[in-house]
Amino acid sequence: MKIKPTNAAIPEIDMTPMIDIVFQLITFFMVINNFDQNEADERVSLPRDQLAKPPAVQRKDAFVMNFGFERDVKGRMLSETPFLFFGDEKLTLEQVRPRLRQESQFYTAIGTKLEDVTVEVRADADIQSGMIQELIQMCQEKGIEFQRFALKATQKSVP
Amino acid sequence: MKLRNRVIPGKIAVDMTPMIDVVFQLLIFFMCTLKVIEPEGDFDISMPLGAPSASSVTEAELPPFKVRMESDGAGQLQALFFNGTNLGGGDQAFSRLNSEVFRAITALQAIGKEQQEKQEVEIDPDYNLHYRYIINAIGSCSGRLGPNGIPVRYISRIKFAPRREP
Repeated sequence: MKIKPTNAAIPEIDMTPMIDIVFQLITFFMVINNFDQNEADERVSLPRDQLAKPPAVQRKDAFVMNFGFERDVKGRMLSETPFLFFGDEKLTLEQVRPRLRQESQFYTAIGTKLEDVTVEVRADADIQSGMIQELIQMCQEKGIEFQRFALKATQKSVP
Repeated sequence: MKLRNRVIPGKIAVDMTPMIDVVFQLLIFFMCTLKVIEPEGDFDISMPLGAPSASSVTEAELPPFKVRMESDGAGQLQALFFNGTNLGGGDQAFSRLNSEVFRAITALQAIGKEQQEKQEVEIDPDYNLHYRYIINAIGSCSGRLGPNGIPVRYISRIKFAPRREP
């Protein structure tokens, strides 16, 4: 039997709608991606309060300290000792003093007045309050001398 | 004048493949780096300088409102006191604290509006009290949410009392 050769042309696909949607998706992900909170450490489970509103004007000089517990994937505490997380580095409250001194010297070196620097404390809800007070007092010691402090909390949604 | 017939150029086929490749790479990048973070806010706070016995220098003419927070052995709130008045424990204590602060602020407004702005709250917790209660107390003293979600501010000057020993 003789088979007739099919001379089918390659169908031209209109890519325009797909490109439109893909660009929409890229724009969506770019907009909702929060680049401001890169210093937020996921290990810290912040307390919640409905009056915790983000500051109206973004602080120019802010030094963020993440103070929390090591947790597993389910959020369970691995140890009772809280740590201050600076990226991959973790320090106990007793070990943090040299690091604070270093930060203070850095701001002085770049010509920023220490009274203009806000120390933002991102502390875990289960940390003992005395430790937060101790940390703030440490920040005010001679040779460190930070003066402005802000306590971070997650904005609780109103039912 | 006789116009020459225009030659309609043929449609130029643009190869879209590299662009689509790059666009998909971008899309995957943004999808992977997406972190869903809840919005964070903060409260400004001050802490008396130096030794626990030292008192802080303030502009306030009246003594600060004192919020004393006692904890049980597990770090939970046992009792909350506002200027010496026991407001009990649990979540109800914070709504009572909010009402007490409102009452005190209303009394202050009779003296003058500027006194309300100068007024301070001093938070004095036990060492082992969980930090979440501090934030709740600060929130209760700071104000309340109005009916349309706009916050009504009571006191913005909040400070810690000298630290208690564990």
